[in-house]
Amino acid sequence: MSSTKSTLTLGQRSKLFMQKSPARMAFLIALVLYAITVMISPGSLNASAIGSIVMLTLLLSIASAGQTIVLIGGGMDFGVGAVMSSAAILTTTIMNSQDGRFFPLLFAALAMGATVGLLNGICTVKIGLPPLIVTMAISNVITRMQYVLTQGSPMGYASPSFIKSVTSKLFGLQFLPSIILYGLIIIPLVFYLLNHSRFGKQVYLLGNNPVAARLNGVNINRIQILTYVFSGMFAAFAGMLGAAYMNAARCQIFDEYAYNSLIAVIIGGTSFSGGVGTYTGSIAGSLVMVVLSNLLTAMGLAQPTRNVFMGLIMIVLLIFYNREKKVRQ
Amino acid sequence: MFELRGVDKRFDAVVALNNASLSVEPGEVHALLGSNGSGKSTMIKILAGLVNPNAGEILIDGNPVEIRNGYDSRKLGIATAFQDLSLIPTMSVRDNILLGNEPRNALGFVDQKASDEIINRLLERFQIDCDPDDYVQTLMPSTQTMLEVAKAVALKPRLLLLDEVTAALHYDEIQVLFSVMRELKEEGIAMVYVTHRMNEVFEVCDRTTIMRSGESVITGPMDDFSLDDIVYYMTGQRPDKSKKDVVHMHSDEGREIVLDVKNLSIFPKVHDISLRAHKGEIVGIGGLQGQGQPELIRAILGAIRYEEGEIIYDGEPSTLKSPSKAVKNGMGFISGERNREAIFPARTVLENILAGKVAKGKTFAYMPAKANRAFAQRAVDKYNIVIGSLNHPASSLSGGNQQKLVVARWIAMQPKLLLLDDPTRGVDIHSRLEIHEILKECANEGMTILISSSESEELLSLCDVIYVFYEGCVSAQLTGENKTPEKLVAAMMGMSEDQEIVSTMEAKA
Repeated sequence: MSSTKSTLTLGQRSKLFMQKSPARMAFLIALVLYAITVMISPGSLNASAIGSIVMLTLLLSIASAGQTIVLIGGGMDFGVGAVMSSAAILTTTIMNSQDGRFFPLLFAALAMGATVGLLNGICTVKIGLPPLIVTMAISNVITRMQYVLTQGSPMGYASPSFIKSVTSKLFGLQFLPSIILYGLIIIPLVFYLLNHSRFGKQVYLLGNNPVAARLNGVNINRIQILTYVFSGMFAAFAGMLGAAYMNAARCQIFDEYAYNSLIAVIIGGTSFSGGVGTYTGSIAGSLVMVVLSNLLTAMGLAQPTRNVFMGLIMIVLLIFYNREKKVRQ
Repeated sequence: MFELRGVDKRFDAVVALNNASLSVEPGEVHALLGSNGSGKSTMIKILAGLVNPNAGEILIDGNPVEIRNGYDSRKLGIATAFQDLSLIPTMSVRDNILLGNEPRNALGFVDQKASDEIINRLLERFQIDCDPDDYVQTLMPSTQTMLEVAKAVALKPRLLLLDEVTAALHYDEIQVLFSVMRELKEEGIAMVYVTHRMNEVFEVCDRTTIMRSGESVITGPMDDFSLDDIVYYMTGQRPDKSKKDVVHMHSDEGREIVLDVKNLSIFPKVHDISLRAHKGEIVGIGGLQGQGQPELIRAILGAIRYEEGEIIYDGEPSTLKSPSKAVKNGMGFISGERNREAIFPARTVLENILAGKVAKGKTFAYMPAKANRAFAQRAVDKYNIVIGSLNHPASSLSGGNQQKLVVARWIAMQPKLLLLDDPTRGVDIHSRLEIHEILKECANEGMTILISSSESEELLSLCDVIYVFYEGCVSAQLTGENKTPEKLVAAMMGMSEDQEIVSTMEAKA
């Protein structure tokens, strides 16, 4: 093994490592990026800055949970951002600064997410349109509805107790935002779905070879639609937490999460062509995205320039993650 | 004169051609005969430039030439009409025929007038009734086939290869084709004609080369051969006509009928098929490729719809609308189209073995990792699947082991009815025998097995009863002493208008 390794160039070797364990690779990248950030601006090494990284990473991880499932199943969900924004608006409107409305809100938000997911799924599966087009079109409708229903300026705030449950510091430690408690529910749930339930195993089979999955007895339409439903529900939940984090909501507030969740999942090693990927990778990918954004801020770049850099980095990563393997015939 | 000399072609371990030869004279129609997998198509593909031989030479008028790709083949004056058509469905008839061969005017633009003339002449010659501006996908399959031939002829080749083109043609179209072929013969064009229809061979061919397992067994003038001779050279055995057909009824009585297919028709391949499988029986489906075998199996599985007839499974009319329902009701399906229909190459050996179990049961149920591993390990041990580790991707296994993986996947589920569609295609002989043993064992334990195969030996050694398909109908049902290679091949060619076989079928039905 070592002899074959020595014949590989550095580029080939890093590519091999990336493909073999993309999650570990992503954590490594995040670490390096963070080290650079600290070198550029030593002030960013403090507990509250770390706390904010944890907060944003978890938010993106929860938003990416459904995206991971959808992508592994061979689809793509570009509606994550629109669902998040809508859920955030629902949160501030329903709660309107009043405590005791969490469960009605949870029900409404999840129902909204599930409905959007169902629509995405049915249009993709039954009409056979490319998922990118379907999910973009539907998310566009949802975004416009935000403006119609709120006249462009959503009212209200998340309730104080809900805000506290997301943003207070555990044990008074600055680097432990209490969103971690939500993470402790969502992350194991995703792992159960993907790795330990029959559903997850069917998703992997479907994504890897839909024809074989169907002939093998997997109800592929149902499973594919379910992946979108989950994506909508996880995005909606992320939108609720996001509203608590931001306190108030406006239209399209979390739209960038559509793009960010997709990149985070890809950085985490989930294949665009389906059938391959892990949620651990997506969490690592989320961390990379957040740390990278911090770094660009530390470099003193304005938002538009940061966006340009993010785009370029996305392209570079995609080249590296081009995982076309030779298949033995 | 076109000649292939001592050609070898191997696809990994599978030997497709072994020292095969063919020589075609100008102005002759040369029949290339042989059963499935004997290497006919590979020969055609070598001349068409789609396959490069491992050894041997190609000579034209005595000069060695090299055909590396389709372009080389075309330049050397060879044109091919393929069985699965080389037309582009979304282009017009005109564009398809002239593709890459457009007449040009002085400025280098396509000469519309000249092309109209070429097209009209060609359509008239082949009596094809269509508008040159029709899209190919809107035409009938038989018209498309005629176009495929017309397109090849339009290239004005010196050697025309016709690969089973009549399979999709109607009787009058075949007559048109033959008259064109006779004209081409007059013009001194050499033709190689591949077909499974023996009456056509005698009607239109001058000489023949017969192939068997990759070797060219004999070449000679058509008049020197009788039908029996041809079957003999294709199988190595003479059909024995003295033996009486005896129906093999012993085990049927009192046994539960698991599957009863009645007068099934599936457009366009299956016309009228009836067959029956009892508990613990291995039922074979034989026939040349494309006689409706895969369609029947998929219809039973619920993967495709059927137009007419009835499928009774497990005593009740089957209303299965999808494979997932079929699997829930105790069916299993093993496909020989490994890469397309069976293997999940990026997933691990473990997940591949588990795929059957994954498909059946409550969607959100917990699947304990430990039990999964034990399940997969048992299957690997029991069926001698050679793997590196349960965690390696399935693509790391050899073809034979991949196929054993798929077999193990379903056997471990103990289905009531196991459907197999050419399960040992491209599988080495050792793995193949192992798979046969597994199937026999399962049948003895009461599993009902319906297997379609392109390999005659496989059917003969494995099955209690063989239904032979020909053009979407059952041409023979062979049991007991009737299960001979000669009878099987004869029935595959649709030659068994044998009253006795037909009457046994009726007696059974």
